[in-house]
Amino acid sequence: MNALLLTAVFGVIMMLSSFLLTSKTAIRGLAVSGMVIVLAANVLEMMGIVFFKIDTKDMIAFDRFSLLFNSIVFISTLVYFLLSARDMEKVGINYGEYFALIFFVLCGVTLSSSFHSLLILFLGIEIISIPLYILTGSDKRNLKSNEASLKYFLLGAFSTGLMLMGIALIYGATGTFSTNGITTSPTSALVIAGMLLLMFSMAFKVSAAPFHFWTPDVYDGAPTVFTSFMATIVKVAAFIAFMRLFNDEFGSLQSRWQLLIALITAITLFIGNITAVFQQSVKRMLAYSSISQAGFMMMAIFAMNADAREGLLLYSAAYCLATIGIFAVLMKLKDYSFDGFNAFAKQQPLLAATTTIFLLSLAGIPLTAGFLSKFWMIKAVAGTGKYLWLVIFAVLMAVVSVYYYFRVIQAMYFKEGDGQTIEASLPFKWTLVLLAGIIVLLGVFPNWIIYWLYF
Amino acid sequence: MNITQILFWFLSALTVFSALMVVVSKNPVYSVLWLIFTFFCISGHYIMLNAQFLFIVNIIVYAGAIMVLFLFVIMLMNLNQSSEPKKHRWLRMAGVVAGGCLLLVLVAALKNIDIKKQVAETNTGDIGLIGNLGKVLFNQYVVPFEISSILFLSAMVGTVVIGKKE
Amino acid sequence: MYLLMIDWWFILEKFLLVGFVVTFSLLIAMYTTYAERKIAAFLQDRRGPNRAGPFGILQPLADGGKLFFKEEIIPLASSKFLFVLGPSLAMLTAMLTSAVIPWSTPLQIGGRDVPLQIADLNIGILYVFGVVSLGVYGIMIGGWASNNKFSLLAAVRGASQMISYELSMGLALIALLMLTGSLQMSVIVQNQIVHGWHVIYQPLGFLIFFICALAECNRTPFDLPEAENELNFGYHQEYSSMKLGLYLFAEYVNMFISGTVMATLFFGGYDIPFVNEASWGLSPNLLAFIGFVVLLAKAFFFLFVFIWIRWTIPRFRYDQLMNLGWKKLIPLALVNMVATAIVMLLRNR
Repeated sequence: MNALLLTAVFGVIMMLSSFLLTSKTAIRGLAVSGMVIVLAANVLEMMGIVFFKIDTKDMIAFDRFSLLFNSIVFISTLVYFLLSARDMEKVGINYGEYFALIFFVLCGVTLSSSFHSLLILFLGIEIISIPLYILTGSDKRNLKSNEASLKYFLLGAFSTGLMLMGIALIYGATGTFSTNGITTSPTSALVIAGMLLLMFSMAFKVSAAPFHFWTPDVYDGAPTVFTSFMATIVKVAAFIAFMRLFNDEFGSLQSRWQLLIALITAITLFIGNITAVFQQSVKRMLAYSSISQAGFMMMAIFAMNADAREGLLLYSAAYCLATIGIFAVLMKLKDYSFDGFNAFAKQQPLLAATTTIFLLSLAGIPLTAGFLSKFWMIKAVAGTGKYLWLVIFAVLMAVVSVYYYFRVIQAMYFKEGDGQTIEASLPFKWTLVLLAGIIVLLGVFPNWIIYWLYF
Repeated sequence: MNITQILFWFLSALTVFSALMVVVSKNPVYSVLWLIFTFFCISGHYIMLNAQFLFIVNIIVYAGAIMVLFLFVIMLMNLNQSSEPKKHRWLRMAGVVAGGCLLLVLVAALKNIDIKKQVAETNTGDIGLIGNLGKVLFNQYVVPFEISSILFLSAMVGTVVIGKKE
Repeated sequence: MYLLMIDWWFILEKFLLVGFVVTFSLLIAMYTTYAERKIAAFLQDRRGPNRAGPFGILQPLADGGKLFFKEEIIPLASSKFLFVLGPSLAMLTAMLTSAVIPWSTPLQIGGRDVPLQIADLNIGILYVFGVVSLGVYGIMIGGWASNNKFSLLAAVRGASQMISYELSMGLALIALLMLTGSLQMSVIVQNQIVHGWHVIYQPLGFLIFFICALAECNRTPFDLPEAENELNFGYHQEYSSMKLGLYLFAEYVNMFISGTVMATLFFGGYDIPFVNEASWGLSPNLLAFIGFVVLLAKAFFFLFVFIWIRWTIPRFRYDQLMNLGWKKLIPLALVNMVATAIVMLLRNR
């Protein structure tokens, strides 16, 4: 509740700051301090200190899972602000509004991680989506950005329509919006139809194949600084919503949807990884890599056990932090192709080293958070005792993913080139080092996160 | 068959027909006009449920505001039959098959549900009157109601960001 | 007389009432054109129409006859159906608003109370609002179907103008609704009979509503959709004969109806001020008639003000119009709304 209200309040504050404050440094400072306050308030709520006592009529339920997830998201956003907030200046003149929109998105994230009613789910997903359509198109003079925005908007609106229809069918069958689980038996066909519609719309939002077609174009067309935000924080938020929905509401129907989710998972893994191999631009490769990572996260939805919940949280942290780091480095470059990274290590050894750690984490190499989170996912699926082919397939695909992540490392260290001159300030470098440190530490001590889930 | 049922079937047939015409019409302006007509038919259904507030809000918001803007844009872009993009025949077939499958599933889902046994309140049900609706909205559903303000605020901020001159 | 479970007397009553209201509004609209010309002449120190009948009183009939016998031209390149639909819609929406206006206290005929209101909807004001927002389609469809860029421009202007002014109109009404606690027109009138006219409590709200009503009726100074000097008479440029007549007529019907709506919402409807007419002991039918006349008198006053403004104030430029709507009226209406809410909160406590 703390985080929900504070993010909304800071959204309004940032909106006002855009015309009250003239200095961009001041706006940035305000946003960062706002983020720190939101994070602190959320941690306090985890310790049981709630500032606002609001009777939500059992529509929002802040449990440990959602609070912990919110903390992960807020930490990632804080890191994102520290690394990339300066790059938002290049996008356009509405600097304060960009922060306002991001705070509104975070408000939607808290909603979609803690909803206990389908209405709140809808509102949460919409509050996430609408500011994103705008951020995607915020580079107004760039045709690609405009196209991406429109494409995202149309497909997003379509999937929201699917979701609403699903909610309507579920409401028609159960007579309630609250996600207490389907108890009626035998399950009516209406529930199944509604569940499928909700599943497809959520698959749209997390860009799982075959609903992923918008992802590469939108991530590629959007200003890189916002791609970084929506490929990470927003994507994992949609996953949490997906998980909560299918755990709370459709948990009792698991046997009915498991095969479908398994298929979606397999297709997502396949398409994401195989297509990423053929990309020439690192930005586009990262878009496809986000699809393939979505495939791994889908395994948590598939398994839906204790391991899956722990794993999804760990995965969120690992994936968000690493991808934000890579994008932060990518934004400093002018050439987004693989060749742009040629001889990067000679020019910026520190940045190259941290980037290598991020890439290793995404590829799932041991001693990084990425490895453990993938391990958790596979463990969760194996724990269900069914569909072992999915485990084997996932491992296979993880091996494929090593190829395209290592291409970047190879370009950085082993290729000759003139090397782009980039400017990176000292705080930027230290933040990146800190980030790399967190990723390695999480890879060794994952319990630092999982501990919070239970105590 | 009493008058309510006659009206219901009449309106339903009209709704389905006009909704089909939205899709079938070649000229986008006609499509929009049929869409407006569809909204009116749906509003008619609200009236049948005695949901007067929903009826009028549907007209004000959809027919009166959103569709005007639709028409606005289409007229200014001067879209004509000739500018309609040519779709591949297989693509169309795929669309028809996919839509048909969805229809089949939904009809199958709706065919044997138990709701149809409950008769919807029409004459005596006054839950749709504005006073009752307001009470429900501000008591039971006050949280989503207030949260939707964030949604609208973010949409407004977004509009300004997109619309402002640089 | 029950068939299909319908009370046919009720249907008959309503049909008669609808027929009466429609004919009556048309008649009033006809003579508003005459009034317009006479008042314009007076303001410009001329005589005005004085040939057809005594004082030119048959002038509207002559105008109508002329319009009927003019050649009807439909542009070849336009869509014929939409071309005809445009003026029809304009007339239809102008007429529809009158359905919720309480014309007077109920009549008593043969032991039945016959309310002089076609439909006493639970959401009366919103209905007016909804129909007004539909009024734009007449202009838009007509303008587009003319297949002429001036007409199209005028149609787009009209649409954006109406949408812009609807907002402040609605916001001004919210303050009024807070006072009455109901959207039902009859309740609003009753409330004024008991507590005094709303214009006393809501002067700013009335002013905003009045300005918006001018804009919604496309009257000067807001008649940009038919600006003759830049748009060649705007959206009805391609129209001739009675289709043009319908557009022109719809404007006057709109004026009359919005006059009655304003009288009903802010000036007590059929209430006679300062007296308690119920204590006179007259027969209910006579009282109903008096109430009707009083309402008409108020509506005529507004018609006069509309005409007066038209021949006094020049037209706005388009950006001025948008500035007034979005930057002045909406904030004002919001302030009015919040102020009303605060006052009501303080007084209730």
